[in-house]
Amino acid sequence: MFDFIIAGIEMPWMLLVLTGATVGMVGGFIGVGGGYMVTPALIVFGFPGYMASGIDMCHIAGKSVVATVRHRQLGNIDWVLGLAMVGGTMFGVEQGVRLLTWTKNLGLSGIILLATSVVVMIGLFIYTQLETQAANKMAIKMEKEGIKVGREVMTSKVPVFFQRISLYPIVRCRQARVVISMWVIVIVGAITGVLAGFLGVGGGFVRVPAMIYIVGASTHIAVGTDLLEIVVSGGYGALRHSMMGNVDFLAVLFMIVGAMFGAQFGSIATAYVRGPAIRYILSYSLILATVGAFLRLAYMLTGSKYAFLSFFAVVFTLGEMFFLCFFIMSLVYFALRYQKGKSVPDWIPSLVVQK
Amino acid sequence: MTKTKGTIKFLFWLGVSVGLFYYAYSTYSSGQMISWYYYKAKTDGYAVHSGYFKKASKENPVMLQIGKFDKIEGLQAVEVKKGDRLPQNTDGIISSKVIKEEKRAKLEGGMLKVMVASEIKDAKGFKFRDTFKHKGVETNPWSGAWNVAMVLIIGLALGLMAEGFTDILGLKLDKIAHH
Repeated sequence: MFDFIIAGIEMPWMLLVLTGATVGMVGGFIGVGGGYMVTPALIVFGFPGYMASGIDMCHIAGKSVVATVRHRQLGNIDWVLGLAMVGGTMFGVEQGVRLLTWTKNLGLSGIILLATSVVVMIGLFIYTQLETQAANKMAIKMEKEGIKVGREVMTSKVPVFFQRISLYPIVRCRQARVVISMWVIVIVGAITGVLAGFLGVGGGFVRVPAMIYIVGASTHIAVGTDLLEIVVSGGYGALRHSMMGNVDFLAVLFMIVGAMFGAQFGSIATAYVRGPAIRYILSYSLILATVGAFLRLAYMLTGSKYAFLSFFAVVFTLGEMFFLCFFIMSLVYFALRYQKGKSVPDWIPSLVVQK
Repeated sequence: MTKTKGTIKFLFWLGVSVGLFYYAYSTYSSGQMISWYYYKAKTDGYAVHSGYFKKASKENPVMLQIGKFDKIEGLQAVEVKKGDRLPQNTDGIISSKVIKEEKRAKLEGGMLKVMVASEIKDAKGFKFRDTFKHKGVETNPWSGAWNVAMVLIIGLALGLMAEGFTDILGLKLDKIAHH
């Protein structure tokens, strides 16, 4: 047991290291901060609500630096895209926070927040699933026809529409190999920022699909670039929380130590898989988080009468982290077997890369 | 050659990480960080140390002695105005508003009577225990900047240390060909 004197609770520090490691692995692999998983976990551990949010945001900033360093080495970061989007995101987050204050004044913030997150996540899950399944089928077909399948396979035509908008200034994102109007990037950043500020999360689960399906970046680039952006936006959020005294610094440190191991594994794992594999994990994380949010919404709509709904929401949120880690580790395990020419399940070859 | 470079990189950043952790831990355990956190009163009320009466309930209320103490020791409370520096060992303020409501605490015979030390509240659909700890306290803004700077530097040091470690292992991580 460790006495966290600022938060005023005693708990085993290993639990924080483990949480940091699991969320770090998922975050490093799909490019999200993981706030929607960490805050509930910290509340379950006994941290007060305001401190759970502050510790979470601070740990996300540190973890994103760890993951960004590795993604830079793998060439998964487009600096132009990332830095252009940061401006829009910061503006959007501020508007999202104002929107939240407005709904708070109406006395509806909790229910509106959860309902919005459920709708957004279900919408993103359906689109990502349908597109990724189509891309996966295309990869299988190409392999059967003897065509070499690249790192990225995507069927969506939406990015082509946005890349045709010729509003000055046009920017060239060399690493992502995208030429696009700066306004598209800034507006995408602003819209995802509004959602992030309103929902009180980092926003990676909206921004990664937006970078893929609107800007047209490859999945790996979207993951690395989003983590770079989280360093800036998460750092700002961490500063706000820290200035308000919502952070127990030692709890953050324990989580970052765990995140170092997890984020390394998650980031390196991206080198073994194709884009659709990352998109599959992203969509599963979305639907699992949706079920957790839906249970919490049901709990709040029933006037907090049914405690089992809150309990299942907690179980679901914590279980989700372990399920996703298991999925990522399985993909890497099968990718290594496949590279060595050993037998793997039929669904593996289209998701992983050959040497 | 890569392994030698990797070893140097790993050892250097390991040293930096350990140094930063040691500094952060000593600042935390020595109470320096606490004094940044429990810095000034953000509201009018009574400065207290909530740990001393965390089991107070309506059935077993706790009486706090009101006085002008430099350090809160035991069941004591010090009246503070917004902007006052807090006495040592303070970890929260029972605000005048809470006392006026007389639901959780009230003034009685020159003493401060605490009846509800903690209550269960909801945050994002999850229940948590809300206490007087950290309530009505203004943090030193510089501690916020210090926190974030430390987090980012530690993140960078750990990231580069891990990079050195994979170089030692000989794990080839070339840039990914995206197209």
